[in-house]
Amino acid sequence: MTPRPKNRRSLAAAPHMVWAILFIVAPLIFVAVYAFRGQNGGFSFENFAALGDYTDAFVRSASYSLIATVICLVIGYPLAYAISLASPKAQRVLIMMVMLPMWINFLIRTYAIMKLLEDTGFVNSVLQKIFGEEVTLHMINTPGAVIFGMVYDYLPYMVLPIFTVLSKIDPKLGEAASDLGCSKIQTLFRVTLPLSVSGVVSGITMVFVPSISTFYISQKLGGGQYLLIGDAIERAFGNPEKYSVGAAMSFVLMLIVLVSTAIMNRFDRDNAKGGVVV
Amino acid sequence: MTKKARAPLLSKVYTFFIYFLLYLPIAVMILFSFNDSKSMTNFTGFSLRWYKELFVNGKAFEALKYSLIIALLSAIVATLIGTMAAYGIHYMRKKALRRAVTSVTNIPMMNPDIVTGISMLLLFAFIQLILGLQHSLLGFGTLLIAHITFNLPYVILSVLPKLRQMDPSLSEAALDLGCTPVKAFLKVELPAILPGVLSGAVMAFTLSLDDFVISNFTIGNSFQTLPILIYSMTKREVTPDMNAICSIVFVVIFILLLLSNLSGGENRDRSAFSEKLRRHKKGIAIAVAGVLTAVTAGIVVLFLLVPPRTEKVLNVYNWGEYISDGSDDSLDTVKAFEEWYYEEYGERVKVNYTTYASNEDLYNKMSSGAAEYDVIFPSDYMLAKLRDEGYLAPLDYSEIPNYENIYDEFKGLFYDPDERYSVPYTYGVIGLIYNGAKVDEADVTGWELVQNEAYRDKILQIDNPRDAFGIAMYALGIDVNTTDPAEWDRALQFLSDQKPIVQSYVMDEVYNKMESGEAYVAPYYAGDFLFMYENNEDLAFYQPEATNFFIDAMCIPANPTRDDETYLIANRFINYMLSEEPAVANAEMICYASPNRTVVENEEYQEYMADIHEDAMEILYPEDVDFREEYGKYCFRGLDKDTDKYMNGLWDKLKNTTTEEKTDITNYIALGLLVLIVAALVFFAIRKKRRERYYTEKAVAKV
Repeated sequence: MTPRPKNRRSLAAAPHMVWAILFIVAPLIFVAVYAFRGQNGGFSFENFAALGDYTDAFVRSASYSLIATVICLVIGYPLAYAISLASPKAQRVLIMMVMLPMWINFLIRTYAIMKLLEDTGFVNSVLQKIFGEEVTLHMINTPGAVIFGMVYDYLPYMVLPIFTVLSKIDPKLGEAASDLGCSKIQTLFRVTLPLSVSGVVSGITMVFVPSISTFYISQKLGGGQYLLIGDAIERAFGNPEKYSVGAAMSFVLMLIVLVSTAIMNRFDRDNAKGGVVV
Repeated sequence: MTKKARAPLLSKVYTFFIYFLLYLPIAVMILFSFNDSKSMTNFTGFSLRWYKELFVNGKAFEALKYSLIIALLSAIVATLIGTMAAYGIHYMRKKALRRAVTSVTNIPMMNPDIVTGISMLLLFAFIQLILGLQHSLLGFGTLLIAHITFNLPYVILSVLPKLRQMDPSLSEAALDLGCTPVKAFLKVELPAILPGVLSGAVMAFTLSLDDFVISNFTIGNSFQTLPILIYSMTKREVTPDMNAICSIVFVVIFILLLLSNLSGGENRDRSAFSEKLRRHKKGIAIAVAGVLTAVTAGIVVLFLLVPPRTEKVLNVYNWGEYISDGSDDSLDTVKAFEEWYYEEYGERVKVNYTTYASNEDLYNKMSSGAAEYDVIFPSDYMLAKLRDEGYLAPLDYSEIPNYENIYDEFKGLFYDPDERYSVPYTYGVIGLIYNGAKVDEADVTGWELVQNEAYRDKILQIDNPRDAFGIAMYALGIDVNTTDPAEWDRALQFLSDQKPIVQSYVMDEVYNKMESGEAYVAPYYAGDFLFMYENNEDLAFYQPEATNFFIDAMCIPANPTRDDETYLIANRFINYMLSEEPAVANAEMICYASPNRTVVENEEYQEYMADIHEDAMEILYPEDVDFREEYGKYCFRGLDKDTDKYMNGLWDKLKNTTTEEKTDITNYIALGLLVLIVAALVFFAIRKKRRERYYTEKAVAKV
């Protein structure tokens, strides 16, 4: 009797493979099909030519999301670092508190910010109580408000992976560095920071991708003035006649995201999967 | 020593500050969910009325029910397929295959959600096309498929590492000892990977519960999940019961997280945890079974709370805030219809009532076949367009005897000259709504007000092309039904000039913004002015000479798959809405002028309107205006396809192009950042190379 060939076990993946082909690969092919299909049904680039009207939206999305990502990094890294300095018990509570807003739907969070930032909103009403009726800080419907919304909504995605990596760094390394004469700052920049690159990289990707593709945030916080590419796509898919243009936009967006994540992953030399927590 | 003490303090202050910012919006929201009034700025007193409204309304619970069902089903299926897949991938011999499978699996995680969503939409649209189906496939099934798809990678990614951690000799031993692979899996592998499977399932469940973006494109129109409901609520006038929903969601999640943290497996040493799991297998099985039963029981209870679906469903698709819905002790006309129908005909009808924000939304929904409707409320020009394109079914006027309640003035107009397709519902004019406390009366002379620099960033504009271009054309004295592109270009110029001073482009958000004083000037409908005036008495209304006169009417869309009985019910629904009690209730609620004589001649109605605003009747029913004549002059008519397309193109241009004055510095900031980043990367790369060279040279020198 010959022993059972063991790689039969890989057949267990078959249902998933069928599923993936039907519902992951096929839909993406349709994006390409719609994007490259001209009005008369043949292959054409006319949908991409039509994207010229959306240049502003693309540029705006790219710059807002870049700024938001940098701000998230600048705010998030120190926060993750500060949390990693806390006692284990405090760490657990603090991390839970970072995660908590993530479980609240981003629509709700965005809406809450809108209510805060309006000219007649909470912040201004507090300011007016302190500094008098005349004071109004105009915040809503500005690019700043849209970027603030992105930072607020996606900050946890930056903090969590960085914290995960930081908490895994052997504290002995820091001790060794200080024994060898490094100051705290030097240790941070020479030891901790380089070791946490993988967390930073996955944090950046996890903030950048949703920021560049978001819709809704700019509708609520930008007053429909600063339409992002996500909004343009959503609008296009509200109208069947525009599916093709919408598909072309999505196609370009997908390329942007793919290229930028590929670039980011190059920096992550260890190619560590470590970053993604939750 | 002071230095050492200071660093943690600084970090504490910093941490506190960030958390403060993180929680401020949520805290404010929870606080104001208990507010006695609608305001989000002044806390006028503690009350639970918004929570009560939530329970009475029942919509949120129905949405929650669907959310839970979808989350549960998709989590179960994704966990099953995903665990099997992880197992299969783990034992794949061919590296290339394994790589291919894992990278395809990861696509939904890497791709922006919106791309995943629209890609599925396109797939379903294509299938619909191939099968030649009249109606969209979108619905429960497609939503479930979408959720399973985006859940799969998370399940696989949480199971795979567990398989890798496992000692491979264990399952080999089991196989050698005569276990079949299935048995070996159940006895050896499954217990070892159970924590991964469980956390994958939990993650799938929560992701599905929370998803909005992908659902938005795959859900169709037949039902709503909680995030979709929230979206449609924030799109319309936002009432504080939103705050109540959100607060409830927050508290529930907070408690769940707290519980899971107190029981605290996650953060402890993983192997110890799985060891524990293995030891307490029975207990865990019981616990899991317990949780599952609890969730199922919860769903069953929700089913019981929400009355079950009855035989006949009537899909009514109306404007937001365009019916008397039972709020503020008014008559809930939809519910009243259901009851009336049961009493009259002994049959239960369930009205599935959904709303849209503009004629264009309605048209898109109709033309995409994305949903089936039985009664719709298009405006005149859209009605003409729908009729011309064959989207409307003739009404059965023998079932609508109350049609005689409609004044003759409103019959046989251009959109329906032979009185076959429509029954007027409301009519009115667009005018300028302005805040009398902020806007100088002297400035209120006509449409120029919407371009007045003095009110920069306080002006709203209507967010749909027909109305926005209409306003520009009335202001410029152009015929709104012109087919001359040059005229449309002139109107575009008007709107582009206006764009820099516009605060935002709105539809139903106008209520909030005007009532709260967030904006001072808005072109909008006279009826809505009265509606807003109830909440802010500073508001005033001005009707320019040339302005849009419109009629919204009830119609039945053509639908070959609709059965005769539903068609009959739809006609009876229209008839019911024309009868005195619901018609008065609707007119009082939405404050638009009514073409119905039983309303206009109703004294209680006249008093009610005068209570809202002393000139209400005069604003709605001006005596010196011959409606039919003005209507003929100024109404929107259906545009031909080319003009329509041209207008929409201009509108896209307006919305997507940054006007010069609003060119934001953000682009330059981003560019600067990009340059900085690239420079830093180059710097580090060069330094690294230099160092490497230095060390290799040193090493070489040593040798």
